[in-house]
Amino acid sequence: MSKSNRLDTNQAKSKAYYIFSFVVVFILAFLFAFPLYWIITGSFKTKQEIMSTTPVWFPSVFTGANFEKLMSSRSAPLFDLKLFGYVITGPTVPAALRWLVNTVFMSVTSMLLTCLTAAMAGYVLAKKRFWGRGIIFSLIVCAMALPKQVILIPLLREMSALKMYDTIWAVIFPIVGWPFGVFLLKQFAEGIPTEMVEACRIDGASEWRTFTDVMFPMIKPGVGACAIFTFINSWNDYFMQLIMLTSSKNLTISLGIATMQAENSTDFGLLMAGSALASVPIIIVFLIFQKYFTKGITMGAVKG
Amino acid sequence: MANKKISVNPKSRRLMVHETVTAYLFLLPFLIFFVGFVLYPMIMCIITSFFDATMGREDIFIGFGNYKELFADPVFWKALWNTLIIVLVSVPVTCIFSLWVASAISKMPVAATSAFRCIFYLPVVTGSVAVTMVWKWMFNNYYGIFNYIGQATGMIDQPINWLGDPKYALGCIILILLTTSVGQPIVLYVSALDNVDKSLVEAAEGDGATQMQAFWKIKWPQIMPTTLYILVITTINSFQCFALIQLLTSGGPNNSTMTIMYYIYYNAFKLYRYGYGNAMGVILAIVIAILSAVQFKAGQEK
Amino acid sequence: MKKLIALALAVVMVLSLGACSVQKAETPAPTQAAAPAATEAAAPAAPEAAPVEISLWTYPIGNWGKQEVVDQLLAKFNAAYPNIKVTVEYLTYTDGDDKVNTAIEGNAAPDIVMEGPERLVANWGAKGKMVDLADLWTDEAKADIYASVEAACNNGSGAYYEYPLCMTAHCMAINKTVFEETGAWQYVDAETHTWTTENFLKAVQTLYDAGYKTVGAVFCSAQGGDQGTRALYNNMYGGTFTNAEHTEYTMNSPENVKALETLYAQDGINFDASINGGEEADLFAQGVLQMAFCWNAATHAARTEVIGDSFEVFPMAFPSPNGTDVKLCGGIWGFGIFDNGDSAKVDAAKTFIKWVCDENTLESVSTSGFWSVRQSVADPYADDALKSVYGTFMQYMGDYYNVTPGWTEARAAAWNMLQQIGTGTPVQEAADAFVATANAAAGK
Repeated sequence: MSKSNRLDTNQAKSKAYYIFSFVVVFILAFLFAFPLYWIITGSFKTKQEIMSTTPVWFPSVFTGANFEKLMSSRSAPLFDLKLFGYVITGPTVPAALRWLVNTVFMSVTSMLLTCLTAAMAGYVLAKKRFWGRGIIFSLIVCAMALPKQVILIPLLREMSALKMYDTIWAVIFPIVGWPFGVFLLKQFAEGIPTEMVEACRIDGASEWRTFTDVMFPMIKPGVGACAIFTFINSWNDYFMQLIMLTSSKNLTISLGIATMQAENSTDFGLLMAGSALASVPIIIVFLIFQKYFTKGITMGAVKG
Repeated sequence: MANKKISVNPKSRRLMVHETVTAYLFLLPFLIFFVGFVLYPMIMCIITSFFDATMGREDIFIGFGNYKELFADPVFWKALWNTLIIVLVSVPVTCIFSLWVASAISKMPVAATSAFRCIFYLPVVTGSVAVTMVWKWMFNNYYGIFNYIGQATGMIDQPINWLGDPKYALGCIILILLTTSVGQPIVLYVSALDNVDKSLVEAAEGDGATQMQAFWKIKWPQIMPTTLYILVITTINSFQCFALIQLLTSGGPNNSTMTIMYYIYYNAFKLYRYGYGNAMGVILAIVIAILSAVQFKAGQEK
Repeated sequence: MKKLIALALAVVMVLSLGACSVQKAETPAPTQAAAPAATEAAAPAAPEAAPVEISLWTYPIGNWGKQEVVDQLLAKFNAAYPNIKVTVEYLTYTDGDDKVNTAIEGNAAPDIVMEGPERLVANWGAKGKMVDLADLWTDEAKADIYASVEAACNNGSGAYYEYPLCMTAHCMAINKTVFEETGAWQYVDAETHTWTTENFLKAVQTLYDAGYKTVGAVFCSAQGGDQGTRALYNNMYGGTFTNAEHTEYTMNSPENVKALETLYAQDGINFDASINGGEEADLFAQGVLQMAFCWNAATHAARTEVIGDSFEVFPMAFPSPNGTDVKLCGGIWGFGIFDNGDSAKVDAAKTFIKWVCDENTLESVSTSGFWSVRQSVADPYADDALKSVYGTFMQYMGDYYNVTPGWTEARAAAWNMLQQIGTGTPVQEAADAFVATANAAAGK
């Protein structure tokens, strides 16, 4: 892993290039980090500083007003469950918390469902020869890049017929049906030697055992990658949330913040406070999983 | 491929049936979601595209009427053109840019590599609505940071109305799209470059190959699968670019940032022309299917 | 990896356990209604007086967009009508229409919606989604409510799809401080808050010559606040947007074309396709623009904090040929009921609307920050000098043409037209194209 000895070709040119690229990357990094910096500092600025026409690079006084407003202007129950005809309602909390709960629930559920269904489907698409395989795989490839706007109206009508409109499931299910995860895990599974799967079969293990004991552990890095992609994608899937969710208690955090605006005026402080709050969990997820994420993808890609 | 084993003997035929049953049992959970929430709506979309469908009355069958109107609609062509430009510009640029950044930062000390990797990933995780708002402020006509810096350094003498000028608006959208989509490719390229067989590179450099040669002859083939993968996800990403348009320009000025995705939404929710919107969706789906097929075929041949 | 998954699972389990314990703790005690956040059994408890649950969706019309204020109104309503439970959702102008439209398509439209006739009557009403409220429009109501408002709430063939609560006249505003500094103040009739087109143009030129390069902006990024730009070019030379019968768009008349050509040629006025009305008002509040065309009492109230004491806002009527023959665009807000096929809910909704508009009038109106649609109701802000100024603009209220058929499409085409003019398309050509599109939509 020695990164330094690549420079020992001792060309002055290469050294100059190294410095040049460092400087450029450094400048670019500023540009990339700036929005988050601006959001986080902005969430502590007063209204006047946010709206100032000369950039206020750092808040002169840290105000909690934006967060206070975020936490006080709407309220909702923390959760509500329907069990055996009873509705169990949680304590009333600031709606922003409920929205955060909704968003986490939505992202985690989509992630788990997607990983499970995609791993199973990817395994057989890679390792089994069966009738209809070609057609299914072509459909998957073609549908992968399909923007959701295309199926918007039919999906909406379908969700309403299924009584799922304005529930979090209306957002989750289309994400699970999105075939990218299957494509990804099929590529991974193809990299696993077929002999291993067959050896297991000869030993008399059932199909399910073969999948859980042999295949799944082997494609785990791929599943990890699939998990992160799905998590981040559903977290940021603003459009589906906008279309499918309406009740205040069912909103996600980004959608919820958007509803807290006055006529003809955007409250940027509130927006930034909400966004800062919303980005914390996802950044934590990235930091925890980034190692697995990067490792997983490369393995699959190199072999696939 | 699927037919390879068929037509041999009854035994293998029975095996094939068994395999098929097992395979579909494994596929079932995914297929329920895929057929139910992607394929079925897509089929309904195709059917509705032959109707004059709107809110508050029964759909009227009009055959290819929507398609005929579509092909005569200049905004549709403009939108299709813009969509293709976004994809055709942002996909290669994203790939080249992220490869360059990745190769630059992978030469740095481990801590720096890790730090930069995180920084370039930040826009992906920061939530598109908020990031878009910040960019909107940066592009502001009157006090935006780009005009501020541009005028302070003398690069421009008049403030430029970045998002309000048809000459620049699409470019701005592509730039923002770029910052939100290079995060994953950079992360992927960094680890792909890390996994390149070091001994080969060293051997080549020992033989007097320049860095450029070593890169193209040794590293590039080895990171090819990553590149293909990045091409696929970037294409998907570019087609999904909707929130940017909705939050920044609403397709304007003069339809210069109108994309098919936004035009579908506009027809469906502003003008209540569901059939017309669906017809556009069908065309877009065909375009995407062709692009994906080409990309995939190219990928398999490599 | 394994450890992490285990960790994640553990977290999930702890979380769900936490949730469980809350359930167990609360389920056995559903009868103790004392705890405010207690559980609520929606189970087959014997209904005594058949409580009805209705939903109300409001756009941010003044404080009707604030939960804490609306909750107080609802508490007062429930004291009178304990059996009607109203759940409120708050919409925004950015995506509120999309939400209502998707809800209609998703068969989940609210029972009551609060907005103006251009949506309730000309859009959802015309599409057969609304309940006729003719029984709320008693003779007493018809006599008291301004005739122009009544006309707007009526679909032209006898059905009333809206019962109005409040109204305002959209106006413009100028930066008095800067006007006085540059000498442009002489062109303003400070007494009546009006000015002639000639003086308006002179004032803009004066400011421009004094170094203010961006005096005003004809904003056109999207439809937000577009009544302001329409009022500007319609009033300058006395043009109209539609004919008086609301059957045809007349935006390409010589008066309107002349106005837009004049604006386009005027120094200091730029056609800006990157901002909408709200953003223009922000720029004015920040002191970047010296006048705002998207303005009213509520727009002002939302920006007092930003304006601070950096300058003095002076509300103005739009410029017109002789100054006083100005016709301002009105805003009318009220309630409509979606036809969800449940007569009990419709009745409950009507009870609610009646209470808000007819029984609790003054408080409901002042919550909006606007003025009552009833002649008999006094100005709720009589002791507020600034608010009273906005109240005086009501006398200039013009025709409410937003109910012309094809309005939604015409509205979208209108800001596209301004974008075209801003990028150099000849005004007449763009206006002709607009009128063709709009009239085609009106004829459908």
